[in-house]
This record gives sequence, C-alpha cells and structure tokens, in this order.
Amino acid sequence: MATTAIISIASDIAPGFGGISESMTLTQAGNILDIDSTTGFQIRKLSAASAVDLITMANELVEPKDSVAAKIFIRNIGYKGVTDKSVGVTIGVNAEPIGLLYGGDWMMMPLTCIDADDITATPATDDTVVLEYVMFYEEA
Amino acid sequence: MATTTAAVTLTSDLLSDNMSVTASTTCMKAGTTADGLDQMEYGYVDIVTGDEFDLIGATPTASKASKLYLKNHSTDETYFISIVQNAQAIGKLYGGDWMFIPADFHDAAGDIMITANGGTNKICYALFHEGITLVAS
Repeated sequence: MATTAIISIASDIAPGFGGISESMTLTQAGNILDIDSTTGFQIRKLSAASAVDLITMANELVEPKDSVAAKIFIRNIGYKGVTDKSVGVTIGVNAEPIGLLYGGDWMMMPLTCIDADDITATPATDDTVVLEYVMFYEEA
Repeated sequence: MATTTAAVTLTSDLLSDNMSVTASTTCMKAGTTADGLDQMEYGYVDIVTGDEFDLIGATPTASKASKLYLKNHSTDETYFISIVQNAQAIGKLYGGDWMFIPADFHDAAGDIMITANGGTNKICYALFHEGITLVAS
C-alpha cells in the first residue's frame, strides 16, 4: 500500500481552469522504494503567541536522514471543533516563516531534516489552537 | 465570492494500523471569513540544471494568504528540484512529488526559488493569491 497523498484543487477564479488532481507515492530519494519512517500522527495545542518547535530534528528518536525526500503534513484544526478562518499560525523552518495556516488550512511540504531546520509554529494570537501533523522521512 | 478549495487524502501503512487522513479547506483572503482568494497564476515550465530560478516572477502582496501548489512532473525518479526561500533550504521534490503550502512572501527576499538537479525538470505550479505587484515594462 505504501504512503500516498492525493491533492484535489478546484477553483472558479479563472474561466476554463479545470482544477488539479494529482497523486504521489512517498518514496525514498532517487528511487521507487517506499518511504520507511514516520513520526506518527500527532497533535499540539498552542495557547500563546510565541514560537514553539513542532519538530526538533535533533531530538527525533529515529534519526532522519538529511537532505533527501522527507515530507510533512500540518493542519490547523482550530479548537474544540471551532476553526477561525481569520487568524492563523505561522509555520516556519529554522526561523524562516513559510506561511500562515488559517483555521482549517492544511499544508504538505518537503523537508531537509537537517538538525538546524526545526519546524516551528507561531500563533498570531493567544487564543488556543490545535495543529495536527505527521512527518514522513528516511531513517539515517 | 471566488471559491478555491484544496483537499488532500493521506494514507499510510507505516503504522501498525493503516492511517488515513482527509482534509479540505476553502482558501480565504487574509483575516477574513467571507472573501475568497480571487487571483491566480498557473504554469508549466521546464527547469534546466545549473541555475537557481525564482518560480514566481512578480511578488504577491506580502503577508497575505497566498497558497502555492508545485509538482515535479519529471518521470525520472532521480531528478529533483531543490526549493529555497530567503536562503533557507526547504526541501526537495523528486519526480512525481508535489507540495502545497501557504506562502506569505513576507518580503522581497521571500520568493520561492528552485534549482533543477539530474536533468531538465518539468514543473507545474499554481499560485492562488489576492494581489501581485506586476513588474513594470
């Protein structure tokens, strides 16, 4: 079965845009072997507008291999069933802000897994918000 | 209101029981619950090896709610693109890989830059946003 991710994007912004539907199987770098390690599915509750590490690369119990084919999925699931589209959490890599995940938003991106490249989360407000996330990577 | 939705289904058998996650979001303008992203850029390009390129030629308005989709359509699994933002390496997309991120383009240095490796990579991208500063002719 492996690890797969299917994305579907629909939009009525541009007339004639037929949407996007693509699938990927998460494989190891440079070959077709399935990716072999994961952090498992986790959640993190945040209640302050300060940066925290979602993933501290150097602290992973199974050491990830650097600069290969790792991926992370993160989703802002709000709090107690309520998602606020007007506020969000800035996701960063090694203090570089990637973008803001508003309530209900999700993202999937590749990672280097280098020790310095921790994944950070910084809520815009002190209101409680929960992120769910899972990282897939190759074991070093 | 323009409506853009992005959905994902993620499945894995790496755990003792199969994991399956589905998520869908409507892409809204920054700080609003009533107005969706209303502009987009969609392209398919060949990226040759050797140089680093700005994927997005014009800078979307900073700190907004842009969403960027990017897929490496190369069929050779050894080909990949390296993705960098503001001198920070993000990761690599090998042939067949895609990513979907919020991209706030926080300043002029916040562009998404890509470098092809292995050979000429075929890249499809879509940027959904709420305003771009076009480059003057």
